[in-house]
Amino acid sequence: MEQEFETDFWKHAQSRKIWDEIIPGEPRKTIPYTLTLEAIQRYCRAVCDLHPLYFDEEYARRTPYGGLIAPPSIHVILMFACTPVDDWMRTPGTINAGQSWSYNTPARPGDIITLQARALDKFIKKERLFAIHDNVFFNQHGQVICSGRGWTIRPM
Amino acid sequence: MVGFFDTLNQGERIESPEFAVSWESIRAFCEASLDYNPLHLQDDYMQGNFGKTNFGGIIMHGMNNFALITRMLTDWAYAVNGVHRRLETRWLQPVKPGDIIRAYGTVTAKQMTAKSRWAIIEVEVRNQHGETVATGEALVEFPRGVPS
Repeated sequence: MEQEFETDFWKHAQSRKIWDEIIPGEPRKTIPYTLTLEAIQRYCRAVCDLHPLYFDEEYARRTPYGGLIAPPSIHVILMFACTPVDDWMRTPGTINAGQSWSYNTPARPGDIITLQARALDKFIKKERLFAIHDNVFFNQHGQVICSGRGWTIRPM
Repeated sequence: MVGFFDTLNQGERIESPEFAVSWESIRAFCEASLDYNPLHLQDDYMQGNFGKTNFGGIIMHGMNNFALITRMLTDWAYAVNGVHRRLETRWLQPVKPGDIIRAYGTVTAKQMTAKSRWAIIEVEVRNQHGETVATGEALVEFPRGVPS
């Protein structure tokens, strides 16, 4: 069964840190998330990526992966699934300027995923407020799934 | 035995299928990614200014570009037992409903390390006008001893 998710990002806006309050290096609050096959396939359909490694159990079993996996970019879901409603990444108007991610082991349906995350840096450039977020996702075996960082422009 | 990595040349190109961007595709990405930022949902909110920038309406998630590039890389790599290991991207222009985007990749270098083999791929996403909306670089591993 999928966990409930608050889709109104305005709702807790006042409880989130603004740029001035973000402390680089301070861990963000995170929550474990059970990745379902349904969530993987909903994401794959939304981005028109229907590779059989994500949909066809029989096919996937015969590959080196030994079963269904999630696409590498599954961290797109995990970023929001593993953080609470007052996380500053949800602040309306947050603009994503770019991201970089490294992939170790694929996420799989049923994985219980945890996140270690923080702001790594913040700065002002061309009158814009930037914050860099730094993230590592782990599976229930303590293996790194992926690690990455993103450059965000914070609302004024 | 000569494998895929051995015959791979600098300058070789790959590309993704087209992706047609619409209100519906952006809404579907919100639901699938759990990213309900009003940038992607509320047209009235997007009529306002963001510092010096005015988008004039909702924009597609930057990570939808990222997903399209990922698809291009994995479709290419899975077929030859390669492993997509890294993707770095930067968004240059907003993508809006009505746009049609496609990802492109060019192999810029091959590298052997102590334990593995790697291809570096320059990536970009272009819209229907030929404008580059995203750029970046990817790394695909071709493990030694794995037939490709």
